[in-house]
Amino acid sequence: MTDLIFNVFILLTIIPCFWVALSSNIVHAAFSLLITLFGIAGLYVLLGADFIGVIQVIVYIGGILVLIIFGVMMTQRGKLLPLSIQLPGKLFGAVLTGVILAALLLSATRTLWPVAAVLGEPQLTSAAIGDLLLGKYLIPFEIASVLLLAALIGAVLIARRSVRGE
Amino acid sequence: MIPENFIQSNLQGISFIGPELILTLAILLILLVGVLLPYWRHRILFTILAVAGLAGSVLPLWKLPQPAPDLTYLSNLFVWDWLTFLSKPFFAVVGVLTILLTQVTGEIDNSEYSECTILVLAVTMGMMLLVASTDLLMIYLAFETMGILSYLLVGIRARDERSGEAALKYVLYGAFTSGTMLFGFSLLFGLAGSTDLLAISQKVAFASQHPQDRLLLIVAILFFLAGLLFKTASFPFHFWCPDVYEGAPTPITAFLSVGPKAAGFVLFIRLFYPLFATGHDATIYEAVSGLDWPSILALVSAITMTLGNLAAIHQNNLKRLLAYSSIAHAGYLLMGIVSLSDLGLRSVVFYLVVYLFMNVGAFAVVAMVASAGGSEEIDSYRGLGARAPYVCVAMAIFLFSLIGLPPFAGFVGKVYLFAAVIYKKIYWLAVVAALNTVISLYYYLRIVKAMFLEKPTETIQIQVPLSSRVLLLALLVPTLGLGIYWQPLARVVSGMF
Amino acid sequence: MFFDFANVFIFIILGLLMTFVIITVSRLLAPRVSDVPDKFTTYECGERPVGSAWILFNFRFYAVALAFLIFDIELALVFPCISVYHKWLKAGSGLFALIEIAVFVGILFLGLIYMWNRGDLKWTKEVPEEMEEGLVLEEEKPITF
Repeated sequence: MTDLIFNVFILLTIIPCFWVALSSNIVHAAFSLLITLFGIAGLYVLLGADFIGVIQVIVYIGGILVLIIFGVMMTQRGKLLPLSIQLPGKLFGAVLTGVILAALLLSATRTLWPVAAVLGEPQLTSAAIGDLLLGKYLIPFEIASVLLLAALIGAVLIARRSVRGE
Repeated sequence: MIPENFIQSNLQGISFIGPELILTLAILLILLVGVLLPYWRHRILFTILAVAGLAGSVLPLWKLPQPAPDLTYLSNLFVWDWLTFLSKPFFAVVGVLTILLTQVTGEIDNSEYSECTILVLAVTMGMMLLVASTDLLMIYLAFETMGILSYLLVGIRARDERSGEAALKYVLYGAFTSGTMLFGFSLLFGLAGSTDLLAISQKVAFASQHPQDRLLLIVAILFFLAGLLFKTASFPFHFWCPDVYEGAPTPITAFLSVGPKAAGFVLFIRLFYPLFATGHDATIYEAVSGLDWPSILALVSAITMTLGNLAAIHQNNLKRLLAYSSIAHAGYLLMGIVSLSDLGLRSVVFYLVVYLFMNVGAFAVVAMVASAGGSEEIDSYRGLGARAPYVCVAMAIFLFSLIGLPPFAGFVGKVYLFAAVIYKKIYWLAVVAALNTVISLYYYLRIVKAMFLEKPTETIQIQVPLSSRVLLLALLVPTLGLGIYWQPLARVVSGMF
Repeated sequence: MFFDFANVFIFIILGLLMTFVIITVSRLLAPRVSDVPDKFTTYECGERPVGSAWILFNFRFYAVALAFLIFDIELALVFPCISVYHKWLKAGSGLFALIEIAVFVGILFLGLIYMWNRGDLKWTKEVPEEMEEGLVLEEEKPITF
């Protein structure tokens, strides 16, 4: 059963990727990305990373993707210009992707990964993450807030400028 | 999980990140002042606050214990060695120079000034954290703090399309390469089961005995090389550099050309040294066998400097020219990494310090001339020597130092770099670097010639205010001083590794 | 853990099925009329749409959306801390944890104050007076020191 669900999520992740990369309609690409991100969230959950899975849905689908679609809607009026990639670019991309894919597949299958013994069903992880954020990773946690603050200020500044500049 | 242990560790280690805490406080203070007071009147106030924050941030360093290579703190997230100890003041100086340059040239609009200072401080904080981190998670967070906020800095200039375009290019390349680097990190984490660099290097040394694991190591290292080469603007991730440097406000360009570049090189040392060299002053690159890494890096170094110098020849915009020159310098600096010896690392750090003053100096002159009524094109430098002798002499000194001519600091730095490569018997790289120096002579001297030997094509009056002159003097003193009396710096640097 | 997510999964599948069933049923039940042009308009009931659905949003929405994203991430990071807060309280380190969370939230709260102060949270198009004033003054007389 888990295998079946796993395969479904794999397909949900991979197939829309082709649309994202190859579609000439940017709105289609954005919506395909939505399905991909959802599939990845499912994979996270199946890997036992429940917290990351939920965050994936909240932040990526609920936030970033909405922003992307927003951006598409906002910048273009009327008919969308079709996106196209020239053949040399496509070929180069295909070769590069192929090489990287082959290297990753080979190394992933050959490597002697240190594997922990699997103890039944994975447990909820958010409590462990909370302990780490308040304990070992306290400084990164606080630094993240400074990063978010500075990013907020900068992003809002640039967005505000565009309002004034219109 | 016992929280008490971590509370103890966090409370004890907090004094080690004193500089970052002070910078954070300065950021919050500037933000509050900006909110409480009508923001467009107080340019000088923000400058004072930011400079005070940066200057104050290095004060706690001298209260701390003696640095040691294995002195880690905050649950092994950071290390307190000489590299950390020296890098923090270095980045504070980078930040101060950037803020002062923005102040004297008036490049950033007053309505965006407080945000600009906040971003500069935050990037500086990120760079300080980056050089101290020994944990992949912390390294990535600091790397992104530096990265994301510098994308914003590039795009900060209002109503300027070039600035926006530069920021977009920087974001796209940056996101791609840092994502690639993160993938590399994840592969290393998967192999070692830990994010701690020490644990990873032990595991890597162990794994490289097994032929099955080698491919993964190679892929991982290639992946995080992408991030490092991007930050240092080296081949094949240098494309963004000219456009971004040209489009960004000039003080920010100066900041990017020394700050994140230096942080990238320090990260090179942090990541590569434990992975490649199994002992200090290692002659062995056994750690990751399968590929001849020194030769690959040497090739990257040679291509980087040659590309940078050849492309710089045809540039008429000084910022673009200096951008290509900065690519070339990344190639020179890589020579020190290639040799992977203590001597090489020392020469990299030495050259970075020297490069800070001469490169910021060159960009400072460009910014001052542009803000005093000239432009960034070489045309407005024709015959400038007669009208603004002080600025032009300063520019000439910075350029001579960038070439690496004897009485100036750049010469000493280059001697160290060449020595490191020759010591390792990589003669061909030394020859390529020497040829490149000759090429660079041509385009740097073109500017000097335009300033002093050509007739002016424009008759604009260049008036450089006193504050700018003082700032130039502050940059000239180390550029000249380190060229004549470099032993103290050399001694400090040689104590590091 | 999987049990909790199985619930979610079932709801998602039910939701998808629902959509599919409704569309199929309406397809089966609805009369097929293909020569009435009104069938192809947006509302299919004679109500004429005015203008295109592709309108340009006000850019201000984007600033708010960006801020939302930042606070979204803040929420994601604070949530696990809150979930262990009770445990830390019982272990006697409640105050420490509280301060840590308060610092995190406090720093970002300053960002919210900043946005509010600069008028970025206003949905209307006009630029706040003080900013306008600042702009005009700045262009008339550059202030350098």
